[in-house]
Amino acid sequence: MADDKDFFICRCEEVTLREIEEVIDEGYHTIDDVKRITRAGMGLCQGRSCGKVIARIISQKTGKPLEEVLQTSYRFPVRTEKLKALEEEGPSDAENN
Amino acid sequence: MVQSYDVLVIGGGIIGLSCGYYLTKQGKRVVVLESGGFADGASGACDDMILFQSKKPGINLELAFESLELYKSLVGELEDSLGFANYGGMVLIENERELEVMEEFVMQQRSYGLDVEILTKAAMRKKQPFLHERFIASTYSSMDSQAYPFAVMHRFARKGRQMGMQVVHKSPVVGIQKDGAGDFLVTTAQNMQYRAPHVVNAAGAWAGKVADLIGLNVPMEPRRGQIIITEKIPAIGETNLWSAKYLVTKLKPGIQIDSTEEEKRLGLAFALTRTEGDSYLIGSTREFVGYDKRTTMEGIRAIINQAVSFIPVLKDVNFIRAIAGLRPATPDGKMVLGEHAGVPGFFTAAGHEGDGISLAPITGKLLADMVCEGRSDARLEELSPNRFASNAKEVC
Repeated sequence: MADDKDFFICRCEEVTLREIEEVIDEGYHTIDDVKRITRAGMGLCQGRSCGKVIARIISQKTGKPLEEVLQTSYRFPVRTEKLKALEEEGPSDAENN
Repeated sequence: MVQSYDVLVIGGGIIGLSCGYYLTKQGKRVVVLESGGFADGASGACDDMILFQSKKPGINLELAFESLELYKSLVGELEDSLGFANYGGMVLIENERELEVMEEFVMQQRSYGLDVEILTKAAMRKKQPFLHERFIASTYSSMDSQAYPFAVMHRFARKGRQMGMQVVHKSPVVGIQKDGAGDFLVTTAQNMQYRAPHVVNAAGAWAGKVADLIGLNVPMEPRRGQIIITEKIPAIGETNLWSAKYLVTKLKPGIQIDSTEEEKRLGLAFALTRTEGDSYLIGSTREFVGYDKRTTMEGIRAIINQAVSFIPVLKDVNFIRAIAGLRPATPDGKMVLGEHAGVPGFFTAAGHEGDGISLAPITGKLLADMVCEGRSDARLEELSPNRFASNAKEVC
């Protein structure tokens, strides 16, 4: 029977609070660790919706300050982009986007 | 405080975790020291291939067969699917020159027992209807498989921990010494010390730097591979795909078939695999740029142009991320696996370049056999770190 931990924190990849807490309990205490193990934050939104929620869960469970947990890297592309948007373009166009 | 173990594994990527797992399974008390977090290095920024067609006929291909069998048994052992799948693979051929090279290569692979054939254009298009018209033929092997690296690594760690293995993150090794009793004393940046009679250097692209800490020579160069990741889309073909150039770039860097200057500089070649998450990984570059693991606009654009020229419908697909990892490259394209003659008890297991996912299980198993039983298979002689000893550095 579903209880209060079986709801999605990461909707793109359908990862529940329960799954995220299990991984934190195993000793993985960074957003990147949790992402790589559960896929939370690997979907279409790339963690822009769930990233901060996951940081908060890690912070609450481990007692680490939220600011410390939040430090993570954002890689290009900042938003999703069609492949053709970069196909055969001049370098200056893309870098100014 | 000094903590004592039977074996210290330096490097918590897929190779280090596999070594740690198989050593623990054989009853050793093991700690895995990882400089970053979970999957921070090349094992977390790569594709998912257990690709036979890219293996040089010889020891690499033999070990890949054994590794595949281990993967199948690991699915039960580690209680997880590991994202293991068997979609098969095709190498795409653009012209007669490539066809000649691939025909010869396929013959060699068949003689080593790989089930691989050349498909006609019609048979190729039946499996891959969205390919650009220009491809004249392809190879096909039903054996090419894949596994999800993050799952493999996490399950190695989880099962290993259940049996007593320890994995310590954010612990870069800064010193390795031998003490009077013959044990190794390893110091991390946090000034923690670990003692054991055996050390396994599984530091991937950093294996040369780790070996250097105890005066050993392991020639290892980081080779950057960039890859892009698409959104989830329905399957666009039956198999995973590579260009003939991918194989030639990987196996015979001397021979370039009709490559542009940019392709040569980036080591650009086409590789496309469908992932566990239903997105596609499209690659890749093979660049020597030191330890810089950033993605670049030039690399991403080159990968995209190539991908769209191979499969035009991809132009309307979104890509959600670009990744880059440093593949550990040796001068002769073979991994380094074995005990260093100059420093008994010190082993290296690194240098898989693009074969780390394929060869991780067999590497860990063979390494554990060497450490636990002192067994060294004669056929593994060509992988020994001692092959580089003749040009060893002066130890003062």
